[in-house]
Amino acid sequence: MKKLIDYIKRFPMIVILIIILLFFTPLAVFSPGENRNRGVVTAIGLDFVDNEYEVSLLTFIPTANQTYKQKNSVISGKGKSVVDAISKASVAMGRDVGLAHAKTTVVSESMLAEDVAESLSLLAHIASLPENTVFVCTNTSAKEMLQNSQNLVDELGLQLEQIISYNANELYVTDTSLEAFYKGYYSFLKSSLIGYIPLVDSEDTNTDSSVSSSQNTDTSQQEVQGDSSPQGGAQSSQSKKKILNEGEAVLLKSGKMVEKLSTYQLSGINLLNPKDLNQLIKINDVDLNGSIMDLTYRLKDKKVLTTTKFENGYPVFYAKLILSVELVETEGADENTKSNTEYSEITPEIANKIEEQINKKYVTAVNLLRKNGTDVIGVTSKFFRNNRKDYKKFIENHDTPDNFIKYVTFKLTTVVQPD
Amino acid sequence: MKNTQISLRQCGIIIAMCIFANKILLMPSLMFENSKSDSIFVLIFLFALDFIALPIFLRLKKHYPTERLYDILKDKIGVFVTKLIFILLIVFFFFKCLLVFSVTYVYFKNQIYHDEFIFLAFISFLPVISHAAIVGIRAFSRTMELFFFFVIAGFIVCLCISLFTPISMPYFFTTTAKDFFTSTYNHIFSFGDFAFLFLVIDRIKISDGEEKSIYKYAFFSMLLVLILYILFFAKYQITAFMHNNALADMLVFSVQFNAIGRLDIIAMITIMLMTVFQMEIFSFAFCECFQSIFPLLNRAYAIVFFDILFCVLYYVFVGKYENVVSSVVSWLPVLGMIVSYLLPILFWIISYQKRRGKIEKTD
Repeated sequence: MKKLIDYIKRFPMIVILIIILLFFTPLAVFSPGENRNRGVVTAIGLDFVDNEYEVSLLTFIPTANQTYKQKNSVISGKGKSVVDAISKASVAMGRDVGLAHAKTTVVSESMLAEDVAESLSLLAHIASLPENTVFVCTNTSAKEMLQNSQNLVDELGLQLEQIISYNANELYVTDTSLEAFYKGYYSFLKSSLIGYIPLVDSEDTNTDSSVSSSQNTDTSQQEVQGDSSPQGGAQSSQSKKKILNEGEAVLLKSGKMVEKLSTYQLSGINLLNPKDLNQLIKINDVDLNGSIMDLTYRLKDKKVLTTTKFENGYPVFYAKLILSVELVETEGADENTKSNTEYSEITPEIANKIEEQINKKYVTAVNLLRKNGTDVIGVTSKFFRNNRKDYKKFIENHDTPDNFIKYVTFKLTTVVQPD
Repeated sequence: MKNTQISLRQCGIIIAMCIFANKILLMPSLMFENSKSDSIFVLIFLFALDFIALPIFLRLKKHYPTERLYDILKDKIGVFVTKLIFILLIVFFFFKCLLVFSVTYVYFKNQIYHDEFIFLAFISFLPVISHAAIVGIRAFSRTMELFFFFVIAGFIVCLCISLFTPISMPYFFTTTAKDFFTSTYNHIFSFGDFAFLFLVIDRIKISDGEEKSIYKYAFFSMLLVLILYILFFAKYQITAFMHNNALADMLVFSVQFNAIGRLDIIAMITIMLMTVFQMEIFSFAFCECFQSIFPLLNRAYAIVFFDILFCVLYYVFVGKYENVVSSVVSWLPVLGMIVSYLLPILFWIISYQKRRGKIEKTD
């Protein structure tokens, strides 16, 4: 005994280590697997139906099978608040809701009638939401979107967030995550841009942009509701729906939707974004080698130079675009030119016509932003950064920062050159 | 006799750990609420004030190379005031330790251990730091020396990865002088990192001409923290107040790295190591002060008292993380100011007197 006490005195850490092991080992060995207690949510849908929030969770419950097929379920709960709805969904799932892997947040268009930031605040403050949660809007209910997105995985192996990520990289050319939404929300003009992916009846559409047909009869799909009362989303999900991805987006001001943007409007907004390449510019009736042709150019490279100034007390935003374009398609009578699309001489006429197209797009975008008092291209922040004194003076004398963009004069110069 | 002295490199590493304490997780977002991106200037200002303590320490060390701080003060200002100062130091280091623990505990609770209870965290941390306090500064500073490279590497990796996401220059000079000084006052308790050096003044072995390297460690650590703040505000800008774990949040929300998986494990390991080391330093400081006040009680009493006080105060009195954080910005800054600025001034006066005395003797 004395020897033991001496040993403990000499090496107290070994005793502490043994105590810790004795304490933790049974806990680790006998506690149930995390999967039993926690459902892995891969996407979240938010709806506002009958004065109640409905939270739908696309949940993956890991189970052993031989087909490697992931079994997903859409589980929903309704409540007076988002937290309430999530807790009801948790009850329906019989597990805690694990949001750490949620990569997509879908809201219905109706949610955007009011300030959506308030509804999302719970998600935004969950510290365990470590990855980028892409924020997207849909025309019907978010629940239906999740149900249909599930079939994308089953039929095409395509995840919803992959489609959205493609849009974000190639069309929106901006981050459309929850974080980016909040950055816009707290910015000078409280404006953000998020993706828009509608669901349409499959009989009603014959567009090439729909990515999946879906029927709610798939055996791998289950639906559990946290509220026993039947509701609209579940009923309508019985019809065939398609996810229609046309690269549209939604413009938000103070968390509310102010405009649905077409790809044309989006490309106008992104004109000053140097990352936005590969846009197609089509010009008609061009005299090329003596014959009249319709030409399509692809934007290969772009340099954007911007300056902000106050002229006579009013803000002027100068932008210079240096575009490198590549001829990709020709339509017309001249067979030789048609077969040599690499021919890319930029004649003054071509340059003028491309410039005309660019200006038209730019005017559309600027008018859109002015009309809604939104600024997703960061004009206001540029003035704040570059001409802070004049900017503050202007705001004091004229209006709130909210309407600043309405007073800005935009001037664009375009230089077109071959790639 | 047992060698309890540490080298200057080990001393530098301890300084680095103290500088990282309480500044790299919660503080950037708290500061942002007060002084927006101008928090960077607040940080520089507070670091500059801290830095002044370093030459004072070196001067005091030069005049009193082997004497304990307690003995130096006792000779100059008497036992009663010295004990009063040491009580202040006890409270200072205790709350520093409590703050480090609270912030890290909440971070890990949110990240991994959602359902864990506080005693599990106590069981994980307290035995390790108690052991460090008992074995002494030489032993735990050698451990720190061993892991220092990994801590710094983890820190730098976190900073570097954030460069792969879009960042832009934060907006400066958007707040008033009042905001600046409010923010400075609110976060002063998280500074005063050189106070520990005065406490172990007799344990640091400094050869002639070596002093420079201590400046290097301090400057390098401050620079890393400053870069963290700049990148954090550049990355999150106006939403910085929403991100309570700055170093870890440099890795998450990084679109480019989503596919790789949970890269934040790098931040977790770095933070875990730093927390253990920082708690070791502060608990050791607590025990040193305790022993100076109660010289008849040995180190084991000090650490047992520390452990009990820690558990009780955290669980019963402080309990909630919010309470700890609100204390940091309400009454603890007063203590921070006394320990971080008034004490170095006192030490400067003491070393000045000593110098004058020496000059008079030679005359």
